[in-house]
Amino acid sequence: MEPGIPNIPDLDPTTVPLTGLPAPTTGRFIVVFASGADAKATLARTAGLGSVADSRDFTAQAVDFTQTEGSDAVWFDKLGVAVVSAEPAQLGALRTAEAGDDAIISVSPELIHHVLGSDYVQGYRDGVNDLAGRLGAADHPAAQTSAAAAASFADNAQFTWGLQATGVSTSPQSGNGIKVAVLDTGFDVNHPDFVGRSVTTQSFIAGAAVQDGHGHGTHCIGTSCGPKAPATGPRYGVAYGASIYAGKVLSDQGSGSDGGIIAGINWAVENECHVISMSLGADVAQVHPPYTVVGKRALDAGSLIVAAAGNNADRRVGNFGFVGAPANSPFIMAVGALDQNLAMAFFSARTLAGTRGGQVDIAAPGFQVYSSWPMPTRYRTISGTSMATPHVAGIAALWAELTGYRGRDLWATLAQDSQRLLLPSVDVGGGLALAPQ
Amino acid sequence: MTQVTVTVDEAHLRSIGTVARSLQASGMRVDQVLEKVGFITGSVDPDDEKSLTAIPGVASVDRSVTYQIPPPGSALQ
Repeated sequence: MEPGIPNIPDLDPTTVPLTGLPAPTTGRFIVVFASGADAKATLARTAGLGSVADSRDFTAQAVDFTQTEGSDAVWFDKLGVAVVSAEPAQLGALRTAEAGDDAIISVSPELIHHVLGSDYVQGYRDGVNDLAGRLGAADHPAAQTSAAAAASFADNAQFTWGLQATGVSTSPQSGNGIKVAVLDTGFDVNHPDFVGRSVTTQSFIAGAAVQDGHGHGTHCIGTSCGPKAPATGPRYGVAYGASIYAGKVLSDQGSGSDGGIIAGINWAVENECHVISMSLGADVAQVHPPYTVVGKRALDAGSLIVAAAGNNADRRVGNFGFVGAPANSPFIMAVGALDQNLAMAFFSARTLAGTRGGQVDIAAPGFQVYSSWPMPTRYRTISGTSMATPHVAGIAALWAELTGYRGRDLWATLAQDSQRLLLPSVDVGGGLALAPQ
Repeated sequence: MTQVTVTVDEAHLRSIGTVARSLQASGMRVDQVLEKVGFITGSVDPDDEKSLTAIPGVASVDRSVTYQIPPPGSALQ
């Protein structure tokens, strides 16, 4: 039997590289059990391990390893995990059980962990040099980086480039059962691609019907909720199974105000819309107080609001812009725009330093985005953080369907599962929004 | 008349109607009472604007911001 506490090999972190060698192990194994499984019975039955120390026998479940030296295993009751000293034959039995027995989820070698040594600092230096090179500080030799092959997406016959880049094209989800509100210039309710869809409409512009006389709203609804198989052209929509709530908060001339927008949010929350997409903003750097409150109340009610970070940058001339209201609000998810190479679109606004909440949270395709347009034009390709926003809204709907998460949990899921990019977080937040696979 | 958005505080969400009537009595022309998210929108004479914040249930009074997207023909929207 192994002693309770193994000898830790004497490794010098300055000579052993952090990557390339297999991680050192103790010779014991970590066995993860399914929730509710009877670990002790399983260990005895499958591997003949009879003496199992139990964390519940220790005060506050603080296991004292000097008392467990003679045990075959130590069972951590709160975690559903056992640390097992097993002979090869016993290990074989456990691994077979892993494959066939519902009680055991996994069997893994117990790894040895070290405090990170000087290699960490070297890695940090290399990372900063690489980033400096990408941001244009070309003088440092280490800035000439050989990064992985750059991404490059293009529309094809089946999918727009944006659906490919975000993994929507291979996602099993459709947004079925999820309600997506798009607050914009309304919707072309007669567009042939939406026949048979659940569409609820409401105008918040005095004297105007919800029928989209501009196009912007129809384009955003197309990106977030367009059909799986349009009669002509590639698929351009994310949540083809979602219920659409089209709220007109911008006139056919493209203008609106807080009264109409907050009324639209009120309506969407009242109708229990899980996602509210707002491709609109003002070049106001300060956080506008009503949106702090409405964003929080919407989240509390289970509605996630996503909004466009803004198009007020021109990175071609070194102007990074700033995130305007309402996207700059702390409880509203602000979306930046990427191009087909997953680089920043030239117009995509950057987080403004010193503005609490005024930050980009996530990024999505927002350059040359093909989507629906009012008839007879039918389709159009335009750019903007307005186009990135409904990508995120539709992807949020896919995650909401898969996980059942709402509000803050849904925000966390989007952030957690986004693809980290070699771009500053002030530009992309957590990275490229990704659909569930 | 200035367009304003009144944020109703948490404690008065259930009595938003009372707050709206008090705002009217103080000179606000109330357009919408948005019960679900707790806001009252409308307009007020700039001279009366400051007095609105003293009304019980009013968390803040903010001048309305306007939003404008580019015209339909624009490549960047």
